[in-house]
Amino acid sequence: MSKPTSDGAPSPTLGGTMEEHDLAAAPAGAELTAPVQRTMADSVPKGRSEQFGGWLRLIRGRGALEIGIIFVLVQIGCVVAYLMAPDSFPYLSGANFNVLSQSIPVLAILAIGAGVLMIAGEFDLSLGMNFTLCALVFIHWYSDGNVLGAFVVTFAMGIGIALLNGVIVTRFKIPSFIVTLGMMLFWDGAALFYNGSSAARMQRGETLQTIFAGQVGPFRGQVVWLVLVAVFFWVLMHRHKLGNHIFAVGGNESAARAISINPTRIKLIAFGILGLCVALASILVAVRTQSVQPGTGRGMELQAIAAAVVGGVSLRGGKGSVLGMVLGAALILVLQDILLLSGAPGFYLNLFIGAIIVFAAVFNRLIEGKAE
Amino acid sequence: MSMSAPSGQNGADMSTSAPEPTGEVLLELSGITKRYGPNVCLKGVGFQIRKGEVVGLLGDNGAGKSTLVKIMSGVVKADGGDYAWRGRNLAAPTRQETEKLGVETIFQDSALVPSLTITRNIFMGRELTNALGLMRLRKMDRIAADILDSVVTIEGIKSPRQLVGSLSGGQQQAVAIARAVHFKRSLLILDEPTSALAVRATEALLAYLTRLKGEGVSSLLVTHNLHHAYEVCDRHIVMNHGRKILDTTREQTSVKELTAAVVEGELGLQRYRQSPT
Repeated sequence: MSKPTSDGAPSPTLGGTMEEHDLAAAPAGAELTAPVQRTMADSVPKGRSEQFGGWLRLIRGRGALEIGIIFVLVQIGCVVAYLMAPDSFPYLSGANFNVLSQSIPVLAILAIGAGVLMIAGEFDLSLGMNFTLCALVFIHWYSDGNVLGAFVVTFAMGIGIALLNGVIVTRFKIPSFIVTLGMMLFWDGAALFYNGSSAARMQRGETLQTIFAGQVGPFRGQVVWLVLVAVFFWVLMHRHKLGNHIFAVGGNESAARAISINPTRIKLIAFGILGLCVALASILVAVRTQSVQPGTGRGMELQAIAAAVVGGVSLRGGKGSVLGMVLGAALILVLQDILLLSGAPGFYLNLFIGAIIVFAAVFNRLIEGKAE
Repeated sequence: MSMSAPSGQNGADMSTSAPEPTGEVLLELSGITKRYGPNVCLKGVGFQIRKGEVVGLLGDNGAGKSTLVKIMSGVVKADGGDYAWRGRNLAAPTRQETEKLGVETIFQDSALVPSLTITRNIFMGRELTNALGLMRLRKMDRIAADILDSVVTIEGIKSPRQLVGSLSGGQQQAVAIARAVHFKRSLLILDEPTSALAVRATEALLAYLTRLKGEGVSSLLVTHNLHHAYEVCDRHIVMNHGRKILDTTREQTSVKELTAAVVEGELGLQRYRQSPT
């Protein structure tokens, strides 16, 4: 698998002559500057195709290649089915675009939050209830006429609840699974206490609806928000040093500590990112539906985590990609959409989604196993 | 860093024979104690590491080597005792502080992140970034390639963009060492570095330690393998049940004495001294 160097000659593999040379020279302590065989430096790709190859390997390493291929195949299948029978399978119709571009961004943003936290090595099962509470708080504050306050309090709420989980998990070194399971029930009760069991309705929400959920070409405005969030977190996770540290803490916590990265700080930041995503997603939903019930977010946490897993995020932390999380969310909802369009009865939805999640988890495990 | 200037003649001398190392004292531990609950792990341990010295830290399982290493690198705090760096007492430094001093630890289970590339691992915590904190990946890749070309003598690494998880144990160790060397560390602590290595890779690593010595880098080699330690270390420290029972130069000891101390502790040492056969 030796790659050609820039001038086209096959590069010699490392070691070999050089290793023998060093073995002979180094113990004598005399030859400190051994003649260097520059193999690695020439391996930095120069051509466009080499860069593309490197990029493919990179997203494969992050677990996003397989999901990407599956996603593209599903899309091709849908388009072909639509072209063959546009009336019975209206996949490319405006109405269908509308539905997908409303639902995908919310789940994808939640999946990014859950996925970033999973890369850091933790879970948050209370994100669905956090989501509900944020949406309720937003509707109440907004309907009372306090627009700025509604945004500030919602974001503070989302981030605060997630950070509280983070503090308990890191301070007492308890698995986040059990902490956030308890918190899920707690905030479920808190949402009912705060709002009562009836739906909260939004007053004077039309302006916001144009901003957050207006029509942008064939899509809804939520797509723009998803693109902004996804690009921001892609840069943060894959290009910024903070992202590098989040991967390090999830991938090998003691290694991160040994190179003086503070795992507690990084995990708290990851919990905070989840809170931010939850608050934003809750505002998108509250604005679109104009009415939120206390039970809205139940099960949302599992869907978000499932989307992240389908997108190649490792359950053991340290591995994943923002692209994968978005594709994972999109794939789950597109498959749901396919079932709906083809008129499958409601109970098929969960049945299929459940099967997909298990399949994705097994699939990722097999890939991880191979990598080790 | 002032000490990074290689003192050529010093290194050449020491690798042949240096009865009493005369370099500046880099690290001095004295009376270090540590207990985990009811288990007393270290009972007042002290020793020095000089600049450009390769020291072997030997001992059976449970002797307290790993705890001592963690205290030296600042990952674990000692309960008592002094930690002096170049004559300056630091009490119990944190990992952040030892990092600034130039202490780098290469742990048994290799302090690398398997799901990241070699480049990202080499620059972990010391990323080259622009003003916004975005990593300059191309430059990092280029430097990583240079480091691997000039330092690593292990076969099979093809590109700095390979995932560390896809490397063998020996290759991973090599990457960890490359990282330590590139960032001009002054004390390299290697905790069982050879346990995951093949024979050839082990030899390359040990040879490399000798080479580093010439560049003024001290190393502490923690190992089970007496023969490896005897081959490269200027001085040997043997631990037994939380105590230092032997601290001797290579010239004054032998594999037999070290074996007796490691395997049978103080008793073995006494027996060996009565009849060294």
